This record gives sequence, C-alpha cells and structure tokens, in this order.
Amino acid sequence: MDEATQIRLTVNGRGHTLAVGPRSADVAPSDTLAHTLRHVMGLTGTKVSCDRGACGMCTVLLDGRAVLSCSLLTVECDGSSVTTVEGLADPETGGLHPLQQAFVDHTAFQCGFCTPGILMSTKALLDENPEPTVGEVQEALAGNHCRCITHYHVLEAVQDAAGRMREAALEPGPTVSESSSNAPERDVATGTR
Amino acid sequence: MRSFRHVRATTVAEACALLAEPGTRARANAGGSDLLGALKDGIYPEPPDLLVDLKTIPGLDAIEADEAGLRVGALARLADIARSEPIRAHWPIFSQAAQAVASPQIRNVATLGGNLCQEVRCWYFRYPAGLGGSIDCLRKGGPRCPAVKGDTRYHAIFEGRGCFAVCPSDTAVALAALDAIVVLEGPGGARRELPVQDVYTPLGTVLEPGELVTAVRVPPPAEEARSAFLKFTVREPIDFAVVSVAASITLRDGVCTDARLVLGAVGPRPYRALEAEARLIGGPIDERAAVEAAEVALAGAKPLRGNAYKVPLARSIVMRAILAALEG
Ligand SMILES: Cc1cc2nc3c(=O)[nH]c(=O)nc-3n(C[C@H](O)[C@H](O)[C@H](O)COP(=O)(O)OP(=O)(O)OC[C@H]3O[C@@H](n4cnc5c(N)ncnc54)[C@H](O)[C@@H]3O)c2cc1C
Ligand code: SF4
Ligand code: FES
Ligand code: FES
Repeated sequence: MDEATQIRLTVNGRGHTLAVGPRSADVAPSDTLAHTLRHVMGLTGTKVSCDRGACGMCTVLLDGRAVLSCSLLTVECDGSSVTTVEGLADPETGGLHPLQQAFVDHTAFQCGFCTPGILMSTKALLDENPEPTVGEVQEALAGNHCRCITHYHVLEAVQDAAGRMREAALEPGPTVSESSSNAPERDVATGTR
Repeated sequence: MRSFRHVRATTVAEACALLAEPGTRARANAGGSDLLGALKDGIYPEPPDLLVDLKTIPGLDAIEADEAGLRVGALARLADIARSEPIRAHWPIFSQAAQAVASPQIRNVATLGGNLCQEVRCWYFRYPAGLGGSIDCLRKGGPRCPAVKGDTRYHAIFEGRGCFAVCPSDTAVALAALDAIVVLEGPGGARRELPVQDVYTPLGTVLEPGELVTAVRVPPPAEEARSAFLKFTVREPIDFAVVSVAASITLRDGVCTDARLVLGAVGPRPYRALEAEARLIGGPIDERAAVEAAEVALAGAKPLRGNAYKVPLARSIVMRAILAALEG
C-alpha cells in the first residue's frame, strides 16, 4: 500500500512529473485527468461537457484505449501514456493527421465541441481495426454525443480516413496529409453535397 | 469533488483492512465510472475521506476458463469480458450483458466488481447536492422514501420493500441466469460465496464493512443449453435498462429439461421468475409456451403509481427472450 507523492505521465510523447499536493500546479487526489490536462498542462483541446461520463467530449487515449478523462483520477493514471487531440498532428511539421484532414474535408462538425472526443474514439478504433464496417464505426462512437447532428458526416469522414490511413500504411511518405482525393465533391456556394 | 486521501492497495487483505478501519469513511474505487459521478454530485450525507484504489492489486483482473467453469476476477474490465473468446463461446449472455453496459469508453475502465456493486440510479437518491441540496432517503439512512409518492417510472415492480430502486447492473442479470457465484472476501481473511442475486437486499447489498467482491465463478454450461440476453432501453447507444431479460433453456429431444428466466431492472436484485421456469420445464418450447411462461412470470408484479407500463413491457421481453434463446 502507498500514497503517491508524485505522478509520472507521458502526454503526447512527452514525459511529465507532477507533485501530489495542494498547489495549483500540483495534482490533488480528487483531480480528474481532464482537469490536469486542461488546467495544469494547458491542453485545452480536450473538452468537458457533462463531467459525468455520459457525453464523450473528454475522450482521450490511455495506453491506447479510448477512455473518459472526466471520469478518471489523475493519481490513478500514474505511469500511463496519454494521447490527446493535440497529439494527432505531425509533431515536426504541425500537419494535420489524415483523420483530422478527413473531418475537415467532409465538414464533419459544426460547433466542433464534440470533435476532439470523436477523433480520439475514432483513432482508438482505427488503430485496432483499420477497415471497420459502418456498424463497427457506429458502435465505436456510441459513447460520443454530438448536439449539432454531424453523425452522418462523421461516418463518411471516418470511412474516408480509414482508407487514407491504410494507403499511408502501404506507402510510407509525407504525402498523406495533403491527399484529399477521396473527399466528396462539394458545392462551395451552399456548402452542401 | 470534495477532496480525499488516496491510497493504492497492493493486496486484498490490505484493502479490506483499510476499508474496515473504524472511524474512516473509506470507499473502494475500481473503474470509478460510477463512484466518481456519485462523488461529484455529492449524494452521500457522509462523503468518503479516503479512496482505496483496487486496480493496483495484481492479478485481480484475470479471466480463466477450463472444464471446471469460468472464474473472472473482480477487476476484469467489461471490454475484456465482452471480447473474451472463451466467454463468447461458452457463456455468450455474459459477454452480451457486459457489451450492453454504457459506452466503449466506460467499458474500457469499468470493472465486473464495480458493475455488481454500483449504486442504484434512482433519481431521488442521485439528486445532485449542487442543485438545491441532495435528497435524504431510506437507502441513505434517512426516514422515508420520497420516490413512492413521486415519479416512479423507472422503479421496481417486484420485491421492493421500503426502497423501490432497481438493481441497475446488466451483468448481474446474465450471471444469475448462469447460476454464477460471487466470491466475497473481508477483513481478517474472511471469505464467503453467494449466488449473485443473494448479494442484494432491498436497501443495498449484504456486503459487510471492509468486504469486497473478489471474483465471480460460473459453472460450465450444460451442453444443450441455449440462451439470450435482451435489454430494453429508452435510448439505444448508452442507457440503463428499463427492463432486461436473460433466458437460458436446456432442450433434450425437443423437450425443455431446465430453464432460467431472470428479469433485470424490475426489482432490487435480478428477479428469477421461478414459476415461469417451472412452467417451461417438461414441455416443448414454442410460441404458445413462451407466451404462457411470460404471463406467469409477470403474474405477481406489483407496479407503483408510475410504472404499470413496465408489466406488459417485461412480459413481452420475457416472451421474446425465450424465443430468441431457441435460436441462440
Ligand atoms: C453514462 C453512463 C452509463 C452507464 N450505463 C450503464 C449500463 O447500461 N449498465 C450498467 O450496468 N451500468 C451502467 N453504468 C454504471 C457503471 O459505469 C457501470 O456499472 C460500471 O461497470 C461500474 O464499474 P466501475 O469499476 O467503474 O465501478 P466503480 O465506480 O469503481 O465502483 C462502483 C461502486 O462499487 C464499489 N466497488 C467497486 N469495486 C468493488 C468490489 N470489487 N467489491 C466491492 N465494492 C466495489 C465502489 O466502492 C463503488 O461504490 C453507466 C454509467 C455511466 C456514467
Ligand atoms: S426508491 Fe430507494 S433510493 Fe430511491 S428515494 Fe426511495 S429509498 Fe431512496
Ligand atoms: S465530459 Fe466526460 S463524458 Fe461528458
Ligand atoms: S459539432 Fe457541435 S456538438 Fe458535435
């Protein structure tokens, strides 16, 4: 049995050591991972809406699994590796991840508040299953709500992203994030397809 | 969330001793998907001052299957139970019930022990302190139940006594239909085993202070057993059951030789419809038998003011589960 005095976290590939204590830069035992990411590390890409495990806005990857950062204690993530939406883009060039680019190309968001969580659930799915059926995508995203009803666009974006990521895996090179050749044709004037 | 001390347990004995210590208001934390919501809403009159992390106890998440049956540690995650090959092959309704819980993100952290021991979802019990003060009720040690005269649309139609909240656990329903045994360990090496439905009382569970669920054992399935788990919810993607049913039926030469019919979200524990089971045994299973058994299963229901609709709903799901089991 022990009581943690410091917490080691790898966030988007970078190691962090945080003291457990009462200062605002510390981790309190009752702090959620979402709180630590947003308010201690400044990674505000991860959103919090319900703060009760019901909406999926706060989804991040914890050792590769999609989890709800509002419903995890930071002290219980000691030694883990966390990926947030900020960790998707290419760290060298800042270029968008093919998944993000597909969401842009398909306009798979309106207000965008749910988007970081949806991207992270999708990332977890595609890492495990690079060629999901529509049903498998729906199942994987069942815990991510969107109040702007972008679900149909999201399904298309995910299928497209899966294709781009499979291609990228076949021919390694820096070209993927530029390629938007699979994007549907769009009527620019109305924004509809 | 109010602050608390946090310790990481490394053995069951240590966790039990901490939780049983007189004077502390300690609570176990497993996946935290239920507990943290309850703490954020400040629903407990005496909030915990110490959380004991069970996830740091090595080996408590094992899933082991052999000829003697299945043994699942209390810290096994629901996502792992849902995708376990031996569970899907031999105890499919357990896998389906685990898969029916909440969302993918929650199943990635939620544990079997936490699923069995989660607090009820009665909206009076859960009423957040931040919205004008939490609501005291019988289950919290208060004088009365405000629900009986209030909105009871999701409350019990069987076995309510004083409190009418229903057991929200999906896995408990499937496990009861599989004759599962819950292993409890307590302070000083105490250990006992109980059928899953006997863990619950109308006001909570039989767990003593410091006692933990450490494992669930499921006997090997009968060779000719077929089963189904159906869960009716208001919303499809994430929701608690309004009614669920686990049916397990053994057929030999077209005749039913054994049956389990267990209803979930209708009472304080998974409700075994014993008379309906008896009605099925000895005859062929067809639509008429299913309709009759469902009739018998709901005959003793005692709905409250707001939930009479649950009776025909449950009847129809019992019937469908029996027929679905034949296909399964
Ligand atoms: C949006 C949402 C939807 C949900 N939907 C469902 C659903 O459809 N079906 C369903 O069944 N549940 C549902 N839940 C409830 C909950 O997430 C699950 O029941 C989950 O399995 C709880 O497991 P946990 O490990 O996270 O429990 P925790 O939150 O860690 O623990 C729950 C309670 O059990 C106690 N406890 C934990 N482990 C043990 C143990 N080994 N021995 C003794 N006591 C223990 C804790 O002290 C706590 O009081 C939902 C929750 C949310 C937030
Ligand atoms: S039904 Fe039970 S949990 Fe709900 S208010 Fe009444 S006593 Fe409390
Ligand atoms: S903010 Fe975490 S699930 Fe809603
Ligand atoms: S785009 Fe607004 S919530 Fe999804």
